[in-house]
Amino acid sequence: MIRRLAPYAVAVAAAGAITAVIGVVAPAATPSALSSLYLLPVLWLAARWGRGPAITGSVAAFLLYDFFFVPPVGTFTVRGPAEVLELAVLLAVALVTSQLAASQRRAQATAEALAKDSRALYDLATSMLRANDVTHALKLVADGALKSPVVERFAVVGEAGQLAGSQLTADELNQAAWSRDRAQAVGIAIKDGAVVPMKTHGGASSLAYLPLQSGVVVLTLRPEPAEAAEMRMLAALIGLADLLLDRRRATVEAERARGFEASDRLKAAILSSLSHELKSPIAALRAGLTALTAPRAGLQEEQRELLGDLDRQATRLDRMVGDLLALSRLEAGVEMDREPHSLADVVGGSLREIRPQLKGHEVTVRIPDDLPPVEVDEMQVGRVFSNLLENAVEWAPPQGGIEVGAVAIDDHVEAWVENDGPPIAPADLERVFDTFWTRRTSGTGLGLAIVKRVVDAHGGVIRAENRRRGPRFTFTLPLARFAVSR
Amino acid sequence: MQRALRAGLQYHDFDVRAVGTGEEAIRESAAWRPDVILLDLGLPGMDGFATLRALRPATRAAVIVVSVMPGEKDKVRALDAGADDYVVKPFGTEELVARIRAVLRRQADVTIGEPVVRTGDLEIDLGRRHVSVHGETVRLTPTEYELLRYLALHAGKPVSHTTLLRQVWGEYAVGDKYNTRYVVAQIRKKLGDDPANPKYIVNEPGVGYRLET
Repeated sequence: MIRRLAPYAVAVAAAGAITAVIGVVAPAATPSALSSLYLLPVLWLAARWGRGPAITGSVAAFLLYDFFFVPPVGTFTVRGPAEVLELAVLLAVALVTSQLAASQRRAQATAEALAKDSRALYDLATSMLRANDVTHALKLVADGALKSPVVERFAVVGEAGQLAGSQLTADELNQAAWSRDRAQAVGIAIKDGAVVPMKTHGGASSLAYLPLQSGVVVLTLRPEPAEAAEMRMLAALIGLADLLLDRRRATVEAERARGFEASDRLKAAILSSLSHELKSPIAALRAGLTALTAPRAGLQEEQRELLGDLDRQATRLDRMVGDLLALSRLEAGVEMDREPHSLADVVGGSLREIRPQLKGHEVTVRIPDDLPPVEVDEMQVGRVFSNLLENAVEWAPPQGGIEVGAVAIDDHVEAWVENDGPPIAPADLERVFDTFWTRRTSGTGLGLAIVKRVVDAHGGVIRAENRRRGPRFTFTLPLARFAVSR
Repeated sequence: MQRALRAGLQYHDFDVRAVGTGEEAIRESAAWRPDVILLDLGLPGMDGFATLRALRPATRAAVIVVSVMPGEKDKVRALDAGADDYVVKPFGTEELVARIRAVLRRQADVTIGEPVVRTGDLEIDLGRRHVSVHGETVRLTPTEYELLRYLALHAGKPVSHTTLLRQVWGEYAVGDKYNTRYVVAQIRKKLGDDPANPKYIVNEPGVGYRLET
């Protein structure tokens, strides 16, 4: 109270002091010319403390001048219009100058506050950028916010829990997660670059939650009315926290991706060496068995037949190992080596591969000459056709027909393999693609599972259906990008 | 494996010598001058590709690479390093013998220096730069002819996309494998060859093309 009144006391004292000075020099000059001396303390008061003390000073000066120097001296009465005018000018000049000085002072105060804000933000942003560790930078932001006179508590919560600021309870963290999941702010908003408290049920001291792109800011504001500059500063700090949370999430995601990539490479390496370990003994088996079936080996017909059977079993074992490895490789998510290919070329390769197994089956290929190229992994899609063709050979009646076809539809190719064998039971149409599901006793149950995974990996779909002629497998493959844009 | 292969090949009247490392293979091929070398890429010590690169200029023998590697990239690497063919383990003796006979036949053709390559109804006269099917002339663009010529010079042998690109478009060709696929499609159209069931130019999945013999 005393401190607040002091400027006014100083104002009155200053007016008194000027009166004394005028009293000393008055005999030598006309008092009316000396009245402008009062403007000096008024200006000083306005500049120093603002309008209130300045006006107090001008009124005091006016009264003192009237009492001591305006005739009749010793009273507050005024005799003539000249004296009235003189006093009015003194008061008006005092008021105007004090007004000017006061607004000057306010502008300066605002500029200083702004400079302080931007300096604080600049310091923070600089140390934030220097900090390699985003969590550390978030701590700097929280510390900055907690220094603000309007903030009681301030905390930053990321996607996996609290990252910086005042310690939150489990309940508060749950509330923050709720706010984040629904993107719903509670008790606070940011409008025109400033924090605006909202009226809530909980009263002024309850926590407010503000969801950001990749996290939540939790804070409590003090109950006292706050300056606009502080609220703007707070909004800027929350903006920084938002940026930092985004950066943190990007970093975490990049690290996770690197981890996956490394484990993919590891899986591919393990599968490759496993393939080597499993196939080498089978290779030795087959080489030995087939060597002995040569007529020159000198074995009896019956013994050679037995060896032939064993070789067929070894071949089957080799296929199963191959299928299992292919399936594991697909499940490990090994990258497809996709390039533009002519589908007829791919089908030709598959047909040649399984030609020995085609026996008496007639294969019709219906692929238009002008079918645009497809963008596929040739080996994998070749395997799709080989597996489907083998499946068809297995089910088509002896000498029965098999059809392979393809047609372009919009941005993809629809391809099919059909045979005139017995239909697939309706309940099994979905299950045929399951791993280890098989209709025959000799199959591995992996062929169609591999087919489905390869089609999936190319972003296509596959279905089994019973046509009038027999079962058909239809699947889609992507067209080459340059073919789509044409 | 080695013993089984040696026995199997001997039963088919081949004279066989077997060694255990790349270094021995290089020595033995210089001393004994075989017609065909079977080279397993999974060698102890000196690796299979290094052995192949060392063997290639030192011998006129056909090299068939044997590998258990499932990757097509190894096949391409082996062919580009000078291998004549490849077989993937496991395989039966009959299949291996068929491959060996094929490379031996090709070797004989090259030795005779026949300027005309015939496969089915297709005739490629390398001396006259003339291609015909059923005796009827087929008009090819220079690029198409160069590609067919290169396949004909190596008839029966799989030729990789990279080799075709280099041979047809030049050493510094920045090419897309689709270039060769596109040109092959054009040639097939002119020869009346069905890509899904080709008589002349066969697709070697993941590797390149081969002219059927």
